[in-house]
Amino acid sequence: MGNELVDSPGYKIIIQWLSKKGRHPFLFQQQSWQAIIDGKSGLVNAPTGCGKTYSVFLGALIDFINYHPKDYATKSKNGLQLLWITPLRALAKDIGRAMEEVIEELGMAWKIGIRNGDTDTGERQKQKRQMPEVLIITPESLHLLLAQKEYASTFQSLKIIAVDEWHELLGSKRGVQVELAVSRLVSLAISNRQLTIGDWRYATGDGQLATDNKQSSAAGHQLPIAHCPLSLWGISATIGNLDEAKDVLLAPLKQKGVIIRADIKKPIEIESIIPDEIEKFPWAGHLGIKLVHKVIPIIEQSRTTLIFINTRGMSETWYQKLLDASPDLAGSIALHHGSIDMDLRQWVEDNLHTGNLKAVVCTASLDLGVDFRPVETVIQVGSPKGVARFLQRAGRSGHQPDATSKIYFLPTHSLELVEAAALKSAIEENFIESRPPMMLCFDVLIQYLNTLAISDGFIPDELYPEVVSTHCYKDLTPDEWRQLLYFITAGGNALQQYDEFKKIEIDNGVYKILNRRTAMRHRLHIGTIVSESMMKVKFMSGGFVGVIEEWFISRLQPGDVFTLAGRNLEYIMIKEMTALVKKSNAKKSIVPSWQGGRMPLSANLGKKLREQLTEASKELEAKSQKSKVKGQIELEVLKPLFALQENLSHVPKANELLIEHIETKDGFHLFVYPFEGRLVHEAMAAILAYRISRITPITFSLAMNDYGFELLSDQPIPVDDTNVYDLFSPDNLLADIQRSVNATEMARRKFRDVAVIGGLVFQGMPGEKIKARHLQASASLLFNVFSEYEPNNLLIRQAYQEVFDQQMEEVRLRDMLQRIQASKIIITFPQQLTPFCFPIKVDSMREDLSSEKLEDRVRRMQQQLNT
Amino acid sequence: MFVVQGQLQHIAFSHLSVITSNFKHQTSNDSFIYATGNLDLQLLMATLLSHIIGEEHLILSNERTLFWENERTLIVADLHVGKTGHFRKAGIGVPAGVYKDDLHRLLAQILFFKAEKLIIVGDLTHSIANLEMDLFRKWRKDFSSLDVHLAKGNHDILDNRWYEEADIRVHNEPLAIKRFLFVHDILKPRLKIEEGQYVFSGHVHPGITIRGRGRQSLRFPCFYFTHDHCILPAFSHFTGTYHVELQKGDEIFALVDKEIVPLHNKVINELKRK
Repeated sequence: MGNELVDSPGYKIIIQWLSKKGRHPFLFQQQSWQAIIDGKSGLVNAPTGCGKTYSVFLGALIDFINYHPKDYATKSKNGLQLLWITPLRALAKDIGRAMEEVIEELGMAWKIGIRNGDTDTGERQKQKRQMPEVLIITPESLHLLLAQKEYASTFQSLKIIAVDEWHELLGSKRGVQVELAVSRLVSLAISNRQLTIGDWRYATGDGQLATDNKQSSAAGHQLPIAHCPLSLWGISATIGNLDEAKDVLLAPLKQKGVIIRADIKKPIEIESIIPDEIEKFPWAGHLGIKLVHKVIPIIEQSRTTLIFINTRGMSETWYQKLLDASPDLAGSIALHHGSIDMDLRQWVEDNLHTGNLKAVVCTASLDLGVDFRPVETVIQVGSPKGVARFLQRAGRSGHQPDATSKIYFLPTHSLELVEAAALKSAIEENFIESRPPMMLCFDVLIQYLNTLAISDGFIPDELYPEVVSTHCYKDLTPDEWRQLLYFITAGGNALQQYDEFKKIEIDNGVYKILNRRTAMRHRLHIGTIVSESMMKVKFMSGGFVGVIEEWFISRLQPGDVFTLAGRNLEYIMIKEMTALVKKSNAKKSIVPSWQGGRMPLSANLGKKLREQLTEASKELEAKSQKSKVKGQIELEVLKPLFALQENLSHVPKANELLIEHIETKDGFHLFVYPFEGRLVHEAMAAILAYRISRITPITFSLAMNDYGFELLSDQPIPVDDTNVYDLFSPDNLLADIQRSVNATEMARRKFRDVAVIGGLVFQGMPGEKIKARHLQASASLLFNVFSEYEPNNLLIRQAYQEVFDQQMEEVRLRDMLQRIQASKIIITFPQQLTPFCFPIKVDSMREDLSSEKLEDRVRRMQQQLNT
Repeated sequence: MFVVQGQLQHIAFSHLSVITSNFKHQTSNDSFIYATGNLDLQLLMATLLSHIIGEEHLILSNERTLFWENERTLIVADLHVGKTGHFRKAGIGVPAGVYKDDLHRLLAQILFFKAEKLIIVGDLTHSIANLEMDLFRKWRKDFSSLDVHLAKGNHDILDNRWYEEADIRVHNEPLAIKRFLFVHDILKPRLKIEEGQYVFSGHVHPGITIRGRGRQSLRFPCFYFTHDHCILPAFSHFTGTYHVELQKGDEIFALVDKEIVPLHNKVINELKRK
């Protein structure tokens, strides 16, 4: 170790400042500071609200003071020192404010700047003339900086890159954007260093350290071993693959780096909302409205409550039902989801800060972002689908120091209560999901190449090693690289002399976009977040309500009433890409079902669920022996349900797979319960159907939920002890997937995002009306054309790959089959529908019936069952 | 009055050799075929369906064309020539093969029916002029005897000179021949349809969506026939489709792969149920 932190002038100044405020650094903060002044890179693992910002930011300050101990306070215009990448615009303001406070109190001359979509042109120009010492930026805006001419000079003095909320970015294409930007900046820093003789760390340095870049100086400061004078720090909440998260971020540095863990455990209290009479609580459902009366007292007793609902449509319903149940709440509860007008959302957030709201019904839209101090309680309605997400949501409450996070779990059907028990046990063991990083995103790479081509251009042979230094593209072959270059310079297949393709041109070996219009168009399209095509909703009398998916509006007839932002609206007409509406007093309305947001149950939560069932099964056995096993309250409550399940069929343990053959007047059902999430079940159901159909000609209809799936046929299904292990064999999986699942249709849907990110689909831009319209083609049409005329196109390939990785979760599917091979398959023949199969059965009916009729039908079926 | 005799009549292709020799005869050395590569004989295979309106005999082809036998006239809509070029010029690398195929298909249709006249009910070209349109004009020269008419569409924005040089007669007003009227958009304001007149139009790119179980749906381009007008499918394969609902009394002929499938309401409902 080189310099000791505690002896350094920077440390002393910071400690002094902290103690004046009566505060002391956490151990992990000190560890980060030491690592930063040693020039190391790594990952800080700390929960939100524990001073993770300070771990890197104060480290950067200490480092700066150490190099300028005499005039650190007065030194201004130092150029960019710290680049702070954050996924959320909303966070930037708060972080910036906190940093400015520190700078001010230390009496330093550093400037803090923010760069994102909200930054105005004047501010941008100012930044261009003189970069602030700290720039807080989103991945998209960082790429926009790379799209500026002579961007290299912007980063000349950069010392530290911090990537905040890295766990959020990792596993998304925005994370890939960060990887690429980092690879560029690292490369710039290395070439900068080679150019600069003398002081390598502070080009404008005046300290005694600024004399030699080869040997340690008199003060005992040593050069880090790294070749790159840039430190890279990720800041991440706990995820299952922290090591990998660090390695992905640091890949371009070619360093191992360190992980610094904050050993702070925030206390979390989890409580299930238990229905009064479990026998009368529905076995299936997805809303949980029956328990609304239990929610009112919780809201009343706590200062502010966030109620998380899984989908936007359901949040609209919940908002209404809460108001119906407690009209007094009017004015003090609000609704917050992604389709609500930005201004309205901002209003809700502001009032959450000030504590003016008693409760907010929200979706994932409030998962992230700034902390709302008044929030004391969180309610999760229905399955959170994963441990990490549940923790994240729990963490939205109790932000005062030493406060406890309080979260209630509200089940929407009986069996879901087991999830509460599973979540408790997972959180106890810190069994958090991994975020697998994305691989070989050709669309993001194409966008990046175009970005570089509109600023200073690139030379492929120089850029290739940089690109493959990232984790995402480490397996990019030279051949794929050539295909990409060919695509962006020649546009793939062409008509020789009749071709006028023009995008990237080669100017003396440098790949550049020279056409200004093309460059401008590209600049407008930098980013990887592709939204559904949305339509604005406005009142006839003026006033913006929100946005809604175009396909939903397209199905409405004038006069239809729908709900948005908690209001009943009558649809009048579409005018200039805006849906015009007026207020409606109609009692009934259509609640839009927004697409997306149907996350499958995570592998971790699935595993915990199976373990809880083992407990339940053991308890049933123990009960017969009259001994007392103390289990979790949820399992206790569910005992009658489990007893019925055991009586009719079986409660499977973790090392068992339950299959039920049930015959009803609908036909022959086969229910299978792997507890692996909807997507895996969807693929598995199709594969199983295909494999059975090879034994005997048979047709099925399929249904699935997060717990299991169903095959339904009009003839007996030939699955028994003799063939069941073969049917669940992992052999020939890939071939069977291809034969059984309609991957083409799935890929077509995936292609939409890929085509937009890869620059094939343009939304048009102002001042280009007619001709821009002539450049519009739907992603689906492009998918057809490419599939037929250029099937090997890398973007098409990527769409299929994304289907395998994300839509079918192929890895997880394979893991499941291997697990099943090693477990005991139990086949039962219940005389009637069981509590386990009920939710799946109901889900399958949802496809054909409207929701109201469905409720009636469910009730009837349950009555039949109970008698 | 209007009589429809929708009869399935798959005409087997026996005179393929005749066509190909014919084709050789018509093309010169410096011709289209050399510019774009070899003609795929598969494209000459056609599935046909005869359709009669009064005295006039029509043949629907699965290649998205309509042949008016009495007048030896081929009717097409929405060619969108130069669309791939327009995209490519803007840096969007759409494979130009789709345009090449469009031209091959049109050529094959003209040869197959031995058409003397070609009527395009609008949107011959996609946008401003580009080299791909030059290829079209070159191709046009190889069919100098073919009489080409264009009922102007919203995409037909080229200079008059371009059409003159291409020997294409442009009709700003609906083109009337015998009892038929040709116009780009059937919803054109103030369009006058006289008693007994039957209109052929394009513009809509009609497609029929067939929904199945499990939220699956498929969409096919189609011919849409009502009692007084027909909307043709867009000829170019680089066009999307706009979903049309079948109204009572109307008829749809969906182009499913190589087949033409007549769909009445009954059939559609049946499919929905299945």
